[in-house]
Amino acid sequence: MAVATQPRGYIDRPRPSGLADVIEVILDKGIVIDAFVRVSLIGIEILTIDARIVIASVDTYLRFAEAVNRLDIVQNSDSEGLPDLVGSMTESGAKSKVKGLAEGAKDALGSGDDDDSDSDSDDSESKSRSRRRSSSSSGGSSRSRSRSRSSSS
Amino acid sequence: MTDHTGMVYVYGVVAAEGSGPPKAEGIEAAPVRLVGRPDLGALVSDLDADALSAPKAVRAHWRVLEEASANATVVPARFGMVLADDDAVRTELLEVNEPALAALLQELAGKVQLTVKGEYDEDAMLREVVRTTPAVAALNARISSVPADAAYYDRIRLGELVAEEVERRRLADTDQALRLLTPVAVEVSEQEVRTATAAFDLAFLVPRDGVEAFTKAVRALDEAVGDRIALSYVGPAPPYSFAEANLDQGSPAWA
Repeated sequence: MAVATQPRGYIDRPRPSGLADVIEVILDKGIVIDAFVRVSLIGIEILTIDARIVIASVDTYLRFAEAVNRLDIVQNSDSEGLPDLVGSMTESGAKSKVKGLAEGAKDALGSGDDDDSDSDSDDSESKSRSRRRSSSSSGGSSRSRSRSRSSSS
Repeated sequence: MTDHTGMVYVYGVVAAEGSGPPKAEGIEAAPVRLVGRPDLGALVSDLDADALSAPKAVRAHWRVLEEASANATVVPARFGMVLADDDAVRTELLEVNEPALAALLQELAGKVQLTVKGEYDEDAMLREVVRTTPAVAALNARISSVPADAAYYDRIRLGELVAEEVERRRLADTDQALRLLTPVAVEVSEQEVRTATAAFDLAFLVPRDGVEAFTKAVRALDEAVGDRIALSYVGPAPPYSFAEANLDQGSPAWA
C-alpha cells in the first residue's frame, strides 16, 4: 500500500510528513529551469520510472479479476446479502496491492524511513512500470487542477 | 561567504532575510548556504561529485526543505537542479526570474501544504462492484466455471470492467473530497493516483493559521466516507505542489 493510513478514528491533526509521503511531489513538482548540468544520479531511474504504475494495464486487470474471483469463492453460494463469513474469510486473505511509485521509491530509499511500516508487499509480480492513463490529460505525469480562490497572503 | 566556483545543487528559493540557512546537511553532507540578495536568495550546497546516490540525495533534499520551511517561506525546487556555480545561481536562476520568483514567494508566504490521500478497502470495494454491476457478476461467474488458462481474455475483460467501475467511484469520491476541502484551502493540486486501490491524492495550500479549520473539514470528509476509504492526512509540508512557474534560464555563461 502506498500510503500509511491512519488508524480509523478521530482525526485530530495532520500526521507529520515523512519522506515517503512527499517523494512523489519532490520528483514531480517544484520550480525547474530547463537546462541544468546533468549530474549522474545513481538510482534516479528507479525513483522516476518506477514512479508510475499503469492502472489501465493488463497487469492491473488480471489482478482485479483475480481479486474478484477470490471473493467469488466464498460468495457464489448466494449472490445477494453476503453472509458474514465472507467478511471474516476475505479479511485475512487479500491485502495485496499493486505496487506503485511510493513502494518502488521506498525500496530504493531503503526502509529506514519514518512511517512505512506497511511492508506487506507480497506482490512484486505486479510491479508495472510505465505511464498510466490514456484518457484525460496526456503527457503530464500528474494532472493538477489548481484553482486559486483568494490571493491574500 | 566566498563564492564557490564549482557546481552547486539548488534546494529552493527563499526570501533570505531573517533566519540563516538550515543546519541540516545537504547532499553529500555538504553544508547548506544562501546565495543571492537579502530579499531573494537560493539555498544551495557545493556539489563536487559527478555521480550521486539518488536515494541519499533525495533524502537530503527533503530534509533541507523541511527544515527551511519551518520558519521561512520557501519555494521548493524540483529534485535535481544543479547549476554551474554561484554566479549562475545569481544570474540564471534569481535575476532572470526575479518577477516570477518574487510573485511565488509572496503567494506562498505563510502557507503550508497539507496532503489528503484516500485508499479503498479493496475487498469491500470489489464486493460492492460485483454486487452493483451485473456484467461483472455474470462474467465472473462464467470464468469461475472454466479452467483458469481457458479464460485468459475473459479475465482481462473482467478486470477491465472492474477497473472502469473503480474509476467511476474514484471520480465521485474525489469530487466529494474536493467539495468538502477546497472551501477551506487557498489552492488545490490533484495528483494522479498511483495504485489500483487509491481513491484520491490531493494537495492543498492552506494558510498556517487555517490548518485547524482545514482539519475540521478533513474530519467531516472522514465521517462521510466511513470505512469505505481510509484517509491519510499529512503535513504541514513545504508547498512542493504549488511551486510552479515558467522559469527562463537566460543565456548560460558556462555553455
